[in-house]
Amino acid sequence: MLSSLPAAAIVAGGTDLVVRMRNGERHSYLIDVAGLSEIAGITPEEGGRLRIGAAATHGQIAADGTVRKACAGLALACSQVGSPQIRNMGTLGGNLVNASPAADSLAPLLVHNAMLALEATGGARTESLERFITGPYRTTIGKTELLCSVSVDRLEGYEEGYRRVAKRAAWAISRLSCAWALREEGGLIEDVRIAVGSCTPVPFRPSRAEDFLRGRRREGPVIAKAVEMVADEIREKSGLRPSFAYKLPVVRDLLAEELGGRSCS
Amino acid sequence: MKRVEFTLNGKAVACDVEENELFLHTLRERLSITSVKEGCGIGECGTCTILIDNEPRYACLTLAAKVEGRDVKTVEWLGNADTLHPLQRAFISRGAVQCGFCTPAMLLVAYSLLLKNPHPTCEEIKEALSGNLCRCTGYVQIIEAIESASGKGD
Repeated sequence: MLSSLPAAAIVAGGTDLVVRMRNGERHSYLIDVAGLSEIAGITPEEGGRLRIGAAATHGQIAADGTVRKACAGLALACSQVGSPQIRNMGTLGGNLVNASPAADSLAPLLVHNAMLALEATGGARTESLERFITGPYRTTIGKTELLCSVSVDRLEGYEEGYRRVAKRAAWAISRLSCAWALREEGGLIEDVRIAVGSCTPVPFRPSRAEDFLRGRRREGPVIAKAVEMVADEIREKSGLRPSFAYKLPVVRDLLAEELGGRSCS
Repeated sequence: MKRVEFTLNGKAVACDVEENELFLHTLRERLSITSVKEGCGIGECGTCTILIDNEPRYACLTLAAKVEGRDVKTVEWLGNADTLHPLQRAFISRGAVQCGFCTPAMLLVAYSLLLKNPHPTCEEIKEALSGNLCRCTGYVQIIEAIESASGKGD
């Protein structure tokens, strides 16, 4: 259908598309995918991963028992998107295809190594979230492709978090955000994953800081060193920006607070 | 034009709409439901809130074609001047209505909340109202009204 109709657009929740149409964006056809059962729902996958349908709303994801257990950071992030009405309408797939650098779901999805399943008449493909988003509001999706689902690692047994800074608590766009997941074994950090959103052109995983933390103790000086490494990686990705006089100290404090846990605070 | 059929405040409705028509305009201009207000028009102020299958949504971001087969409620569902809903009575007795522009939407959000959670905490009420602005800033009275009506609604 998508390939046979000229100038067709896909609509699910409509919270981005309808606003753009009010501002003059024109489409000859709209294809509503919100009711397609094939791209709805949240279901376990083989191999211990979780499949989230692209048409799942932020509200459904935030309330889902399995997501809250195995992807707690994502549940938390989805519960902070927009307002209750927006969360009842806006979908995860729409959030990803729109690819705002401030989208709340991106950082926790990176922490969970999200893989996207896309389909077109010509065939299907999967792509990691890291490769899918190429810049602010830019992705690799083709004009005739449909994002069907997102597959994520289940991180049961991890401690997880998501923190954002916005101009006010409700109905505000994230100015910066951090998602993380961490598992300790025998007093040492066995695995840690960090993602920083709204700070760089594309949300990213500061891999040097993650590598540094693995196998170390979760204590003040170690966390402080890792947080500095994250700040360095942000500067390398974005260069120096006027907003960094504010953003970098806030990222440092947020991450130190979040990763430090009870032992360091 | 395209015909959409749905349930509006308990009654079956069939209505011809433009292909790209916003449901907000269908309600106000074709069905004379003017309690649904157009405030910001971009899903930020909440005055156009309606319930679709009892969940609050913004009518200004809802395409009319999307309500096909759905259950739609506006404040007219709650009551009328002769038989007010307990939430409406509480809004009046607690002084939760000032200019009144945000009130229909506030009532619908409160009604939807109490359906799911008959005894919400103050925090839960604030969270439920977080997508609705009151420019008279009468939030305290609105929260108190919902608290006083909770458990007494239907």
